[in-house]
Amino acid sequence: MNDEEAMVMDRVPLLSAIVLSPLLALLVVVALPGRCARAIKIVSTLSGLLTVALALLLWVRFDPTGPRYQFVERVAWIPSFGVSYHLGVDGIGVLMTLLNAIVFFTGCLSMSTLQERVKEYFAFMLMLVIGVFGVFASLDLFFFFFFYEVALLPMYPLIAIWGSTRKEYAAMKLTLFLLAGSALLFPALLSLYWTAGGTTWSLPELAAFAFPERYQLVLYPFIYVGFGVLAGMFPFHGWSPTGHVAAPTAVSMLHAGVLMKLGAFGILRVGIELLPLGARYWAGPFAVLATVNIVYGALVALQQRDFKFVIGFSSVSHMGIVLLGLNLLTPDGLNGAVLQMFAHGVMTALFFSAVGFIYDQAHCRDIDAFGGLARQVPIASAFFIVAGLCGMGVPGFASFWAELLVFIGAVQRFPALGVLAIVALIVSALFMLRVFRQAFFGPANPRWAALREITPWLATPRVLLVAVLLVFGFFPGLALDLIRGSTAVLVGSR
Amino acid sequence: MSSTAIALLLTLAPLAAFVLALVVFPRQRRVASATVVGAGALSLGGALWLLRAGPMDAPQLWPWFGAERGTMAFGLLLDGPNLLFGAVVALVALAVMVYSLGYMAGDRGWSRYFALLALFAWSMLSFVYAANLLQMFIFWELVGLASFLLIGFWYEKPAAAAAARKAFIMTRIGDVGLMIGMILLFNATGTLDVRELSSPQLLGQIPQARLALIALLFFAGVVGKSAQFPLHTWLPDAMEGPTPVSALLHSATMVAAGVYLFARFHPLFLAVHYVGQIVLGVALGTALLAATMALVERDIKRVLAYSSISQLGFMLVGLAVGSLHAGLFHLVTHAFFKALLFLCAGAYIHHYGSNDLVVLGRAGGRTQRWTTLGLIVGAGALAGLPPLAGFFSKEAVLAALAEHQPLPVVALAYLCSFLTAYYSFRMVFLIVRPNPGSAAVAPAAAEHDHHAPSATHAGGERAMLGPIIVLTALAAVAGLGGAYIGRMAGVTPEHPHTLGMALAIAVALAGVGLAWLEFGRRGAAQLGFVARVPALQTLFERRWYIDAFYAAVVGRLLDGVSRLCARVEARGLDASVDGMARGTVAGGRAASDVQGGRLQVYIGASVLLLAVACYLVGAL
Repeated sequence: MNDEEAMVMDRVPLLSAIVLSPLLALLVVVALPGRCARAIKIVSTLSGLLTVALALLLWVRFDPTGPRYQFVERVAWIPSFGVSYHLGVDGIGVLMTLLNAIVFFTGCLSMSTLQERVKEYFAFMLMLVIGVFGVFASLDLFFFFFFYEVALLPMYPLIAIWGSTRKEYAAMKLTLFLLAGSALLFPALLSLYWTAGGTTWSLPELAAFAFPERYQLVLYPFIYVGFGVLAGMFPFHGWSPTGHVAAPTAVSMLHAGVLMKLGAFGILRVGIELLPLGARYWAGPFAVLATVNIVYGALVALQQRDFKFVIGFSSVSHMGIVLLGLNLLTPDGLNGAVLQMFAHGVMTALFFSAVGFIYDQAHCRDIDAFGGLARQVPIASAFFIVAGLCGMGVPGFASFWAELLVFIGAVQRFPALGVLAIVALIVSALFMLRVFRQAFFGPANPRWAALREITPWLATPRVLLVAVLLVFGFFPGLALDLIRGSTAVLVGSR
Repeated sequence: MSSTAIALLLTLAPLAAFVLALVVFPRQRRVASATVVGAGALSLGGALWLLRAGPMDAPQLWPWFGAERGTMAFGLLLDGPNLLFGAVVALVALAVMVYSLGYMAGDRGWSRYFALLALFAWSMLSFVYAANLLQMFIFWELVGLASFLLIGFWYEKPAAAAAARKAFIMTRIGDVGLMIGMILLFNATGTLDVRELSSPQLLGQIPQARLALIALLFFAGVVGKSAQFPLHTWLPDAMEGPTPVSALLHSATMVAAGVYLFARFHPLFLAVHYVGQIVLGVALGTALLAATMALVERDIKRVLAYSSISQLGFMLVGLAVGSLHAGLFHLVTHAFFKALLFLCAGAYIHHYGSNDLVVLGRAGGRTQRWTTLGLIVGAGALAGLPPLAGFFSKEAVLAALAEHQPLPVVALAYLCSFLTAYYSFRMVFLIVRPNPGSAAVAPAAAEHDHHAPSATHAGGERAMLGPIIVLTALAAVAGLGGAYIGRMAGVTPEHPHTLGMALAIAVALAGVGLAWLEFGRRGAAQLGFVARVPALQTLFERRWYIDAFYAAVVGRLLDGVSRLCARVEARGLDASVDGMARGTVAGGRAASDVQGGRLQVYIGASVLLLAVACYLVGAL
């Protein structure tokens, strides 16, 4: 492409297109009558496909050697209050946007069999997706928080209406936990704004302001815990497994795959970036809690009998790796954490879509009630097994690199915690293999003889997820080259 | 074509075959297996070509990804030990693939089976030719994955599913050690290049205690992969997999990967004196321990599995006393004769539908002429009878040991040698000279690992004979390659001692002789000497109660801890949150009572507040 074309391309607001194209889809879905279920699904899925294409374009056109924030758009919104519509991404934002687009698209495909209140379901889901895209692209703290809440609110109806297994309880618990997190965040963010002079909400400008050391030490835990609740940090993780279990398939996918990453992203973008001294001061205690996440999550998962509870607690364990990486405050640690955010997102999406397929037919998720599924539905089982191998940290899948980087950093910075985290790999293997053996291997249980094998159409999204895991598993440079520049700034000498 | 291109081709061909057989041709069974066997042949051709071309000094590197401390390279290293082991792997792999065409005939998982063999071949060959430690680790893990999937190939059998899980967990325990060791080594040296990590100068910069720790962590990986005490328990159970898999993975190549890793990082392991002593102790102890279990076992595959554990220990003994030549030599000869023994065992199992030695003997095992010839040659090599392959390599290990270690240690090694000769020929005589009148009782139900014998077997058995004959020849003559292996490894072999050699032969013959007395001669009772001491018999049969100990103590402990965590989760964290929520609701109810519209409450509250206010004002 020649320069002129490049300039035209630059004038297309790519980030706005990514954030707002689901909004367009949302408007169309709202406008369509509820009985046009098919049209609603097609519109949402196409919107997902469009965001995948745009995110890929973003990835290709992002220049890792260029300025830190690219594709910047800025329009003053409330000048007297310092709020502007300010979008832009660094490498981390690009990778997370890609993740959200992938999970959104595959989630839409996985829900193509939904019958009940299709219109409302997709409307809420699109709202959630808009919020997530918005958080990853916002360079204005006000909008950051606005999108953050936009992403969280639809979770309640999505679980309470379309969920299963104590759905009202789970929805309420999730909402209370997340609101409690937000309650910590809101005053903390206001305080950041006022302390920095009360003139701007812009994240790059706030980052340039040197907050006093004492102030950082006091404020950082509010930010870390406030966002950490959403990232499933121990001991505030309780909402996440119950939420996973109750949520319908695509919501579980988005919830574990993307939503929890918002928490980690917030810690990175707001906590570590604006309050580096606070982050350094609190790194030790929070690293200990993160290691508890890893070990404790795996141990609890060992006792679960429900497929989704196993995945839920394995998520608690895997998000512990993200949090541990963040608290290392070294390039290896942050690269590993960001990579794990991506890898875990894709992996859990695969997990939940694999379990969702079985649950939709069997209406049972009790591991002990199954057996020999690998004989009855070999391809559907293979998806779960691949996700499980990825979860155990087998090389060849993206999560191997993420874990390795975090471990390398952790052994250097907190040797005891690093070793504990690595030893927990044994427990991960134990609980995952237990599921394999109980549900997928062993003699086939005649009760499930009527299970139908997955159709090629439904297999497509799962194949896509597996492909993503493998591509990044064998070519980790694809992601590392993207994020290295950004993480280096974060742990820079500032 | 350059050597590099050939090396790339020979490692990637099985990967292509894996994808083709699993994804493209799962329904076209013949095409799937032909693709895999073709790829195996290509790999063997390439490996032999490289072996003939000779070692290349510099590794071939391609940039892989950028990391904080420089660029990580993906590389192939084509030096002597790599070329040697690569050729052995490719050879045994092809033999097993061809053999499987007969052995697996009619199995419904045919395409998946061949795809997994290809997956194994790809990861194993990539492991062997890897130029850096990280690459080695990745393929080391993938080899383990292939092993898991192949042990659990008949996943509907609960025993196979359990064995697969056990193998994965036990090796994972070792791998965790290896991973920590790798990270520590990387943090200490800043490099992962295999050749750089072998340089004594670089290792010399690391403090002794740290170096010893790293070496012991690496050894944990070796212990897991090569099934040494205390992680050896997975290998006998792994015999639940198809027999050709046992031949390829669980005797000749994959389990030898641990020993091979040891040989690759020989300078690291020997940098600190006491590490070598610990390794020697573990390896020799394992060799003896496993040999005692083989004395009383009646399942032919398990006898061979115990003997693999024992012989792997023997290789490590050679390496631990500093002889790279002895360790590698025994690794190569063992790969041939043990693969041969497993393929023979498979042929019997396939034909007679039983794993039990006594049953196989009584059913007429000796009428399988080629198989029985292979069995005898393989057992002779295992026992260390001249001029078969095992004699020379075992002699090399014993000679190296005698040179460096005090007499009692050497005596233990000879004892192990004696036991090996005894149990090998116990196995041979039970099959070749069955005694219907012997005290041995046939088991209640013959168990076969997949299908009952049928007429369709006859065609398949021809495909199985070829590999048996080739490996028989190799097991007979590979002992002559000792000098060549020394040249490839870049070391001079030890000179054999005449006395040591004579002693080794005498010990082996004594073992065979005792087996003859108890099992071979006409009218033998076919009861081993161990059976005269019932306590010992039980101890060996129960595998020294090690499995039971793990299940009862380690398993239960872990279960208890995880149960505790689950209870904390449910009764502690969750309950406290629920309690808080309930408290809030109850508080709200109580508060709403206040504004219940009862005048008395309002007046009472007003008076109370007024009094408090007055008091406060007064106090000020």
